[in-house]
Amino acid sequence: MRISRRQILRAAGVSLALPWLDAFAPTTARGADAADPPRRLICICAPLGLYPGNFFPTATGKSYELSPYLELLNEYRDDFTVISGLAGISGGHQAIDGFLTGIPGAGQPAIRNGISVDQFAAEQISAKTRFPSLALSGEGLGLSWTRTGARVPAHNSPSRLFAEMFLEGQENEVRAQLQNLEEGRSILDDVRDQARSLRSKLGTDDREKLEEYLSSVRELEQRLVTDEKWVKTPKPKVNVEPPQDISNRSDLIGRTRLLFDLAHLAVQTDSTRLITIMLAGATSAPPIPGVNQGHHDLSHHGKDPGKLAQLQLIEVECMKVLGELVAKLKQSQEQGETLLDRTTVYLGSNLGDASSHSNKNLPVLVAGGGFRHGNHLAFDPQNPPPLCNLYVSMLQRLGIETDKFNTGSSTLNGLEFKPS
Amino acid sequence: MTVELMSPIPMCRVFAMLFVGIVVGSGMGLIGTATRAFGEDNKPTDDPSRKFFEQYCHTCHAALKPKGDFRVESLSQDFADKANREKWLKVVEQLKTGTMPPKGKPRPSANEAKALIDWIEGRVAATEIVRNAAQGRAVMRRLNQAEYQNTVRDLLGVELELKDLLPDDTVVGGFDTSTETLHMSSYQLNGYLAAANRVLDAAVAGGPRPTHVNRRFDMKAATRRQGVSRELDEGVAIFASDLASNIQTVLWSFLTRDRGQYRFRISAYAYQSEKPVMFHVNGGNSNLGDPPYLIGHFEVPPGEPTVIEFVEQLEVGKNIRILVDTEVRANTLQRSDVENYKGPGVVFQWVEIEGPLLDSWPPPSYRLLFGNMPQTPAPDNSNRREVVSQQPVADAEAILRKFTRRAFRRTVTNEDVKPFLDRVQTKLNEGYSFERALRVGLKSVLVSPDFLFLRENIRRADNSGLPDNTKLPAALDEFSLASRLSYFLWSSMPDEELIRLAEREKLSQPQTLREQVERMLRDPKAKAFTENFAGQWLGLRNIDATLPDRQLYPEYDDILRSAMLKEVYLFFAEVLRDDMSLTNFVSSDFSIINSRLATHYGIPGIEGLEFRKISLPTSSHRGGVMTMAAIMKVTANGTTTSPIVRGAWVLDRILGTPPPRPPANVEAVEPDIRGATTIRNQLAKHRQVESCAVCHVSIDPPGFALENFDVIGGWREHYRSIGSGEPVTVNGKRMRYKNGPAVDAGDVLPDGRQFQTVEEYKNLLLSDKDQLARALAEKLLTYATGTPPTIADRPHIESILESVRGKNYGFRSLVQEVVQSEVFQNK
Repeated sequence: MRISRRQILRAAGVSLALPWLDAFAPTTARGADAADPPRRLICICAPLGLYPGNFFPTATGKSYELSPYLELLNEYRDDFTVISGLAGISGGHQAIDGFLTGIPGAGQPAIRNGISVDQFAAEQISAKTRFPSLALSGEGLGLSWTRTGARVPAHNSPSRLFAEMFLEGQENEVRAQLQNLEEGRSILDDVRDQARSLRSKLGTDDREKLEEYLSSVRELEQRLVTDEKWVKTPKPKVNVEPPQDISNRSDLIGRTRLLFDLAHLAVQTDSTRLITIMLAGATSAPPIPGVNQGHHDLSHHGKDPGKLAQLQLIEVECMKVLGELVAKLKQSQEQGETLLDRTTVYLGSNLGDASSHSNKNLPVLVAGGGFRHGNHLAFDPQNPPPLCNLYVSMLQRLGIETDKFNTGSSTLNGLEFKPS
Repeated sequence: MTVELMSPIPMCRVFAMLFVGIVVGSGMGLIGTATRAFGEDNKPTDDPSRKFFEQYCHTCHAALKPKGDFRVESLSQDFADKANREKWLKVVEQLKTGTMPPKGKPRPSANEAKALIDWIEGRVAATEIVRNAAQGRAVMRRLNQAEYQNTVRDLLGVELELKDLLPDDTVVGGFDTSTETLHMSSYQLNGYLAAANRVLDAAVAGGPRPTHVNRRFDMKAATRRQGVSRELDEGVAIFASDLASNIQTVLWSFLTRDRGQYRFRISAYAYQSEKPVMFHVNGGNSNLGDPPYLIGHFEVPPGEPTVIEFVEQLEVGKNIRILVDTEVRANTLQRSDVENYKGPGVVFQWVEIEGPLLDSWPPPSYRLLFGNMPQTPAPDNSNRREVVSQQPVADAEAILRKFTRRAFRRTVTNEDVKPFLDRVQTKLNEGYSFERALRVGLKSVLVSPDFLFLRENIRRADNSGLPDNTKLPAALDEFSLASRLSYFLWSSMPDEELIRLAEREKLSQPQTLREQVERMLRDPKAKAFTENFAGQWLGLRNIDATLPDRQLYPEYDDILRSAMLKEVYLFFAEVLRDDMSLTNFVSSDFSIINSRLATHYGIPGIEGLEFRKISLPTSSHRGGVMTMAAIMKVTANGTTTSPIVRGAWVLDRILGTPPPRPPANVEAVEPDIRGATTIRNQLAKHRQVESCAVCHVSIDPPGFALENFDVIGGWREHYRSIGSGEPVTVNGKRMRYKNGPAVDAGDVLPDGRQFQTVEEYKNLLLSDKDQLARALAEKLLTYATGTPPTIADRPHIESILESVRGKNYGFRSLVQEVVQSEVFQNK
């Protein structure tokens, strides 16, 4: 077999770490005990959807037959649930803004986005890890949103994020960092006072904007305090080569793999418990044999068999990389449990059918996390429960006591916890 | 992320729309002659809502479990309550789109619905007028990314890239000045802290004078990708490049150590070609995974080497890459014998780089902050130098006073300065050096709400704190007016002249304002207006949202992409500069193009990459912005064009009558690229369905008028097809696409007027110049105030029109009248 450039890159990067996993110094999650094991969430969005004909199984329930895409995860059949029929967001491509918030129409004029499920969770469990949450993106914008309706900036460079997570700075850099944090706190102190005295001079609508500023100041203050603690704590050591960013912008599978590898490392070292990943949706043709058109272009297949065949090649690669992530999490142990059992991996999309920009019948796959799996959970697309019900389930699985999240008002029927 | 940014407009399938007249007459934005004052004839006693609701809504929207969670009883008469007002406007939207009452239930007549809509809008307008008089229509907003960057440039005299530190602004359909979308978050604030550090580092410039580099790099020594170049005695011939696959020549031996301006000289000539050959230079980081940016396109003739020279501002850690723009694809060439390749290329001999080009050290930014205060070596034994002071507190106070006045864009009081001075004092007491202590204070200014927010104040009559209603209701005070003006035309802070005029309370005088607008538009900073206003009004920022299908559009390349953008910007700037009629945006007899665009447009006799104003031959089908390649590209998806998307674009951007948002439950029409059917056939089907036709009768015609323009804005008489059709040969080369079905650009407007060609359609548009001006005035006001005009602003917009009508609808005049308008001058 011809070895592709991507495989060579992989060999140089973190991906080859798989066989060495046992050599990791197991970094036990801080403050963890068996009664209250740390729980994680990784949310992944395929922004151009997954061709429904290849993704959804036809039969429902436990004994469903795997679809062509799920067949690639055959080995983990009992570790995931595939869900069909969910909906609740709208606006075609723009619904990407609502993917993790579940706000209908998010991304369109006059509709204010809400908080995303990971940031909602971060409000409660962030202090336990170096990174309150991680927003990753294959190409640009990320998936996470703050309570004030602002997008959380995403990390685009695996090499830089790796350095932030695992490489210790020089002594003078650390000193400068600490000094910056301390100065930052006193500055926030000052500006908060200024903002408060400003409040009385403002009309009601202006005051709303100022409240956003004040709550941002409060949140940042807390974050700087925890950051200071973490700057003083040595970073976890990992026995892998730092990844190199992929310069080929159309190599979306290679880019995805780097992000997944980092997500796995972040979970394994308990650097964060909340990760969101926007997959790349390159407009130029990815370096996959048999593909000569851009991913976006192919997603508008119009049922053209040639385009569908190429689209399938891309999506198969994408599912395979997901399989690699699931495999790694399953092979990593923590206190006698697999990491997969403690990590909910959620793959979904804002598009049910990219070719027509439909936001109905969203493709959803939930793996691990300690849910009872091995099921095709099919809802009636004509009368679907909101996507946010799934998010309520995921939040509860993280140990967060809530039965509401944005448009969700209960857990998702049929997605049960595994008995512990 | 590279998903499409345009909203596809789905076909309505489900919902019937009964009142065509309403949708066209008042449902789309702000059409109509709304010069009368609102509220007068709409007393609550005329309230038609109760009867209407009882008759048409109560069955579903009442009682305990109302449909859609909406009970008509929840609507109160308290229009001052914003949430309640918005609920009423939702009712209007439902009525206008005809979504409610649903098909199959008793439905109101067009007159009944119109009466209710008028009544609701009248009440809303009356309330808004009262509210606006008290606290203004525009809500405070933070600076956006571009404004922040320009503001620190003008405030501190440093040219800096900050994009990596500040989160991207979320722009939803309109402008990045929109109050509604500019949110604050802890991430944003943290970005400001980091940006302040970088900005102050650059401004204070404590490091040693950067080493002046002046080197010649031999191209033979540069790293090249295999199979696309050939080494000659005189240099290196490069035949093909491909950015996506990283096939480019990176000058690895050059990496900037210091930020600043660099002069580049490149010696090159066209090879194996009788015509000039083009290439371009990108800048980027040492990390090839980071996206590069374009520095410039160039072309060199064959024969004696040409030396290309340009100066570019570069950050630390940047290098340059050279890519040739030839027709052969890099990976095709890599599979053949490059040593014997006979096609055109560029021979590069050497690249000379000199810089950073500095006039003085420390740079002017140092003096801007510290005046003539001296520097000495820093106490920490680094090789930095620090500014020192004999009287730290007094000096800090003077510096902070001067700095806050400019940063807050207004006069400052002792109370304004005190918190920053106190902080500096505390740091001095903690043993910080003067410079370090002062920097904490300066940094604090740069994250304070007074700096980050455009906080607009209402003019006070005197010291009573009461608004001065004698001038205008909710008129901006002088400083707020200065900021609004400078962020409108410069996307940056007011300069000293504006601030001084504001201090002397002279700026708001009509004549002074006119002079200032003229002065500001002449200033190079006005480039920001063209880039940011025109760029967003016309959607140019979406140019890379999709990449044209290579099989269908092999001629699309980076040079064409840049050229098409530049045409729009140059055209806009020209219309603005010469106060030409804004009708030129619809139809003009000139454009500003270069050879690449001329080829694309089929206009003969234009040589060279430099842009020039040309008279358009009638055969070109060009003129105005709508038919420019860039606009045709941003309204297409890379493979196909949709009359629905383009039609909605024209209705929104040019006519100012955006169609109602499509019903949520319908899918988009998917054009067929197999050559089997045309979009017209597909749309014809849905235009026969009455419920769809009611909107699409307005949306589709402008889209069809543009059907002769393909995905990249080329003229077409047939669709390109990847399935059936006649073979196509271009310049002796057989194309991979075929000639599909013929294009038909004719259609009929809702009022029955017909057109066969885009020219005829443009003429129909030109018949209502008022509407074109109204649409543009609304866009300008939305951009300038961060808030779209509402019903209450209609009379003021009509006054603007009155003023420009006599001036041949001059665009510069329109900008002037917008500034003179109450909507602009009120908060």
